[in-house]
Amino acid sequence: MIFNSVEFFIFLVISYLLYWKVFQKHLKAQNLFLLIISYIFYGWWDYRFLSLIFLSTVVDYFVGQQIYAQTQQHKRKQWLWVSVVFNIGLLGFFKYFNFFVDSWVDMAALMGYHIKSTWTLRIILPVGISFYTFQTMSYAFDIYYKQLKPTKNFIAFAAFVSFFPQLVAGPIERASNLLSQITHARKFNYNQTVEGLKLILWGLFKKIVIADALAPIVDDIFANANTYPATTLILGVTLFSFQIYGDFSGYSDIAIGTAKLFGVELMTNFKFPYLSRNIAEFWQRWHISLSEWFRYYIYIPLGGSKQGRFKALRNVAIVFLISGFWHGANWTFIAWGAFHALAFIPLFVVGNNKKYKDTIVAENRVLPTFSELLKMLFVFALVTFSWIFFRADTITHAMAYIGGIFTRTDITAYAHPMGYRMIDYYVLIILFVVYEFIIRQYPRHPFPFKHKAVRFAIYTLLLFLMLLFYDDGIDKSFIYFQF
Amino acid sequence: MKKLIVRLCIYGLLMLLSLELLVRAFHLTKDYPVRIVDAQEVEKWQPHQTGYSVTGNRRQNFSEFHINSAGFNSSRDYKPSKTHFEIALVGDSFIEGFHQPYYNSIGKKIEAHFNNIPVYEYGYAGYDFADEVHLVDAYKDTFEAIDCVILNLTFKDDLERDTYSVLTDRMRFETPFYRRLRQFKLLNYAKNIGALNPIKALPGKLINTVKGRFKSDKQAPQKAVSSVDSLAIYQKRLDNFIALTTTYNYNKAKNILLLDASKTPDVFLNYLHTHNYKYIDYSQLLAQSKTKTNLVYDMHWNDHGRTLVAKAIADYLKTHGIVKTP
Repeated sequence: MIFNSVEFFIFLVISYLLYWKVFQKHLKAQNLFLLIISYIFYGWWDYRFLSLIFLSTVVDYFVGQQIYAQTQQHKRKQWLWVSVVFNIGLLGFFKYFNFFVDSWVDMAALMGYHIKSTWTLRIILPVGISFYTFQTMSYAFDIYYKQLKPTKNFIAFAAFVSFFPQLVAGPIERASNLLSQITHARKFNYNQTVEGLKLILWGLFKKIVIADALAPIVDDIFANANTYPATTLILGVTLFSFQIYGDFSGYSDIAIGTAKLFGVELMTNFKFPYLSRNIAEFWQRWHISLSEWFRYYIYIPLGGSKQGRFKALRNVAIVFLISGFWHGANWTFIAWGAFHALAFIPLFVVGNNKKYKDTIVAENRVLPTFSELLKMLFVFALVTFSWIFFRADTITHAMAYIGGIFTRTDITAYAHPMGYRMIDYYVLIILFVVYEFIIRQYPRHPFPFKHKAVRFAIYTLLLFLMLLFYDDGIDKSFIYFQF
Repeated sequence: MKKLIVRLCIYGLLMLLSLELLVRAFHLTKDYPVRIVDAQEVEKWQPHQTGYSVTGNRRQNFSEFHINSAGFNSSRDYKPSKTHFEIALVGDSFIEGFHQPYYNSIGKKIEAHFNNIPVYEYGYAGYDFADEVHLVDAYKDTFEAIDCVILNLTFKDDLERDTYSVLTDRMRFETPFYRRLRQFKLLNYAKNIGALNPIKALPGKLINTVKGRFKSDKQAPQKAVSSVDSLAIYQKRLDNFIALTTTYNYNKAKNILLLDASKTPDVFLNYLHTHNYKYIDYSQLLAQSKTKTNLVYDMHWNDHGRTLVAKAIADYLKTHGIVKTP
């Protein structure tokens, strides 16, 4: 069941009404209902996946109790390792098993040993496994670092692990934020609901109009990269930048908005990343929940920047490489992570990685300065270039794509694979960027305008654009589901 | 909660109203002319209607139609006379041409090849060969005055029945309920761009989910159509063709079939040869074209495709001496 489907709409309306009308009075009933609808939502993909999430819930619930109960540090650590090994093992088996086998066979072949690979398995990747395993691990980590007491309420914990709005593609919540909300009664709040609905509308717009409308163009250019000139290849990866942003941030907005409908506040996952002035700022604005997760549970435990310059650089590199690998079992994602590490490390070395923390471009001004504009364009170009690795099927494909950009210099206008006017898409992207710039100070309030009439006009315009760019024939699933 | 529901309803209604206005203002959806079945049991458009045909979300194809006094989309009214040479073109949506401006129709393109020879277009979406021969027979008086009748024929789709009767499928949309429904442009627009498909597909999807989710992932292999089956289908269509031409006294001297030989089985082409049926094959001209000959959004001929088909017709009429050129 995906957010942009009729099934989800019906599911949401029924769940919402029952949640506030029938189950509001008792916290236990509210949480049990939340758990049931979350399991229905997740089981809609494949009921077999439910056993995994249940297992993960049971293990981490038990491990959390054990970590807390132990007084000796080494025993606490042992229990933490149980959680890490179990969750990483789960992830490793379902997501990376075949990758490791294939990589081993390839490496052996390079060394002259030709092994016939018969060990790869036909494994279906359970949707959202990368997200909920990280979320349950955060629970064990937070207890280990004494930032959280384990809950004795299994239903509440299970509802935290499976909370349906963010279950399959985040934001990856820390237990200290989400679990504490689930263990307390939620009261219906009109303003919170309205804010949620606005975020859902904005998220749907980004998904349907930006991401889905660009998908056929990007798919065509990447699939036929060897035949297109450099201008088209640049266009393809530029549009992919917007596609993946619209897709993933759209999902996050819908997730945050849906959670608000159920009285839960999730963390912000995107803060206009393409308005960043350096690559460090980009990472403070892109997939924030994952970056925070890596910072709290990998970078800082490894020593962060407190153990000397060399170790700090090593830790940064490790985080980026793991971040890349987290996205998928493919060398392309590792290359993507490595590219970002290489772009980030110079800033880190000169101490500019926190230069733009908690600020926004053109703060208290209408327009950015020329220098800011250049910086934003440079960061966008850098990030866009890195998306080639992210989008390509293989490293060879990525290198051929990059090779095409630098060698096939003839200029020809690109024609849409379905014959649509390309100018529609260019105008759309420009308007989208301008609008995002206007609302840049309000990542959780996409319609921060005082006058009702203006807001109403924008809502209507967004719905109108959704109709204008709706395409029934394309795959409507979210890109990040595959991770 | 009550406040929320009331406001959602008000906002929802206002938004629907605004969207309806926008769809109308930008003329994003097609106009639906009224269908009729006349006294001769010919299904056609009610005479004297005009409007626009629209394809795609963003008006990617936008063309004006004009239903003439005979009930067909054409720039001219039909006044055949025995003293003047006239051509009639009978067929389905390809001939009807709602996807092109009526003043740039395939008939107009044929006329451009000759000097003062009118082409009367009897095109109607969904017509099959039974409709076509019945039409020619029903309007006997008119067609007797016309010198050359070209009947469009797609072997795969147009020979599924051996006798004519009015099809009720299309006419059921002419009830007052559907006519009123068509007044909601937003609804039409959403339907045409496929935005209502997920809703339509929902019951089936839910049933499949409940029924099929717990079964094996393997799907039953599709039954392949054997060559024996194909021959049987071809024979059935050929039998239908024979039945229709016999029932409606097909005039081999005056009538010419218009077909794409590359999509027509040899068994049928051989039959036409053997039994002296004349036909125009436009397949080569379309195949040789370096530019696209059909629209992007559907398989109807685009302007270039229509030009080529018109050329194929004109060339045939000239080379076979049917139309004398100076």
